[in-house]
Amino acid sequence: MNYLRLFVVFFRVSLMGELAYRVNFFVQLFQSFLSLGLSLIGLAVIFSFTNTLGGWRPDEVLALVGVYFLVGGMISLIIQPGMQELIDSVRHGTLDFALTKPEDAQFIISISRVEIWSLIDILMGIGVLVFALVRMGERVGGWEAAIFILMLLAGGVIIYSFWLILAALSFWFVRVENILTVFQSMFEAGRWPISLYPGWLRYGLTFVIPVAFAVTVPAEALTGRLNWETLLIAVALAVVLFIGSRLFWRAGLRHYSGASA
Amino acid sequence: MKSPSIHVQNLRKVYTVSQQEAGTAAALGSLVHRHKIEIAAVDGISFDLAAGEMVGFLGPNGAGKTTTLKMLSGVLHPTTGEATVLGYIPWKREKPFLRQITLVMGQRNQLVWDIPALHSFELNRAIYRIPPDDYRYMLDQLTELLGLGPLLHKPVRNLSLGERMKCEIAAALLHRPSVVFLDEPTIGLDVTMQRRIRAFLTEYNQRFGATVLLTSHYMADVEALAKRIVVIHHGKLLFDGDLSVLVQKFTAHKTIEVQIGDCQADLNQYGEVLSCADGHFTLRVPKAETARVTERLLADLPVIDLTVEDPPIEEVIEMVFAQESP
Repeated sequence: MNYLRLFVVFFRVSLMGELAYRVNFFVQLFQSFLSLGLSLIGLAVIFSFTNTLGGWRPDEVLALVGVYFLVGGMISLIIQPGMQELIDSVRHGTLDFALTKPEDAQFIISISRVEIWSLIDILMGIGVLVFALVRMGERVGGWEAAIFILMLLAGGVIIYSFWLILAALSFWFVRVENILTVFQSMFEAGRWPISLYPGWLRYGLTFVIPVAFAVTVPAEALTGRLNWETLLIAVALAVVLFIGSRLFWRAGLRHYSGASA
Repeated sequence: MKSPSIHVQNLRKVYTVSQQEAGTAAALGSLVHRHKIEIAAVDGISFDLAAGEMVGFLGPNGAGKTTTLKMLSGVLHPTTGEATVLGYIPWKREKPFLRQITLVMGQRNQLVWDIPALHSFELNRAIYRIPPDDYRYMLDQLTELLGLGPLLHKPVRNLSLGERMKCEIAAALLHRPSVVFLDEPTIGLDVTMQRRIRAFLTEYNQRFGATVLLTSHYMADVEALAKRIVVIHHGKLLFDGDLSVLVQKFTAHKTIEVQIGDCQADLNQYGEVLSCADGHFTLRVPKAETARVTERLLADLPVIDLTVEDPPIEEVIEMVFAQESP
């Protein structure tokens, strides 16, 4: 598929570029280990006082932490850099280059920056996840795994679309980085089971800023907590947001090029 | 005559800008209510370019050059008017159209900052789906013409401005576009590099038969590159034609350089004396009287040397803009 081919080329070029700067690799490695280490220590402390957290057992919360790192890694690998690129290119006028290319400009912009070393977070996330699953034993079967991957995809699409809508605001307002910073810190909330939070915050994290769909829901799928309604909502939300963000992007472009005036 | 490569008819682009008055109170007021004013950046221009033609697009800053270029490359929608490039309506941004054009902007980079230019070339190769043989051929050609050899493997941020511009141009031409839009390609470069880029553009235009439309506010660029120029000012077309015709049309004077023994003589009866140094007079005379004045000078004075010249092109252009300013 054409998009996949382009993605591979962009990814390869980013990788070649990054390999020249090994310092970044070690910095990211250190940062990832530190972040994961602190999470695990936090968990150890909490579970020395209690056996469940918002109804989640230690191994399950560990799996959640794994998912959190996995999804967070995906976001900082491709979604966040791409959206930053969108904002920067609108401000600096380099979007014009993307618009004169014979490929979809949204796609080109979205893949134009890749933070290769975020792969470390992804690998660590997978590592923690596998470790947690092994400890959980036979409770995770092929069915759960399939649903998990589906929910992971839906979560990724939801986050990407949501973020695109925020970044596309720059077509009208030019300076929108602060919104992204807010999102970044809200995402931090996803490292704990969403059921832990008071009702209003739970709704906020689910529907206003869809962190829950990116982290909690996939983890629920894996731990057998997911019900059909949530699954359907996640898929429907992914589809709706994806289409919505595309329309929003196009409205932004029309504004940018002066077609709507 | 061949059908035109670029056709522009009554193209107009109006920007709505919100105006803010000076002062804090006014700035706060503008949060609530903004004065909107309309500015016509391009105000009804028309011209045609034949395939393979190279045309200089000239005008002071804010004349509407860049806006026109952006409309022709499909980035901006015009407010009214029409244009076709290679038979396509640019702002529909159809892929077959985009594959055949390119846009180079002297003040903006498309190369990725931290990686060698060659890697960025790979991205364009993938985007334009350039077949391997074509890619190798074009890369060789461009490397030779622009002297890119040692530059391709250095990270772009380690390149000088001129070196970077050469790589930018190469990146934009890898897919061998048949229409090339260049917006101030030599801006900020030193004279040697400007000359290098000019020589390259002429060569590219001839070797590949591409239609080239370039804007510049360096007269030397336009003088060296384009036989035909289009001058716009305040969004309106002032002149379209040969550079020499422009000089004819907008200059009522010629300059006579005359060398006599010293500066004692009074030459004011022949024309306006602009300067004199070591017996070298510079006279300005009405164009129609040039022949008569020359004759008289030669008859009256012990002339050692005499030349008749058109005023420098910068002066001509300045005159054009001065005449037409509201």
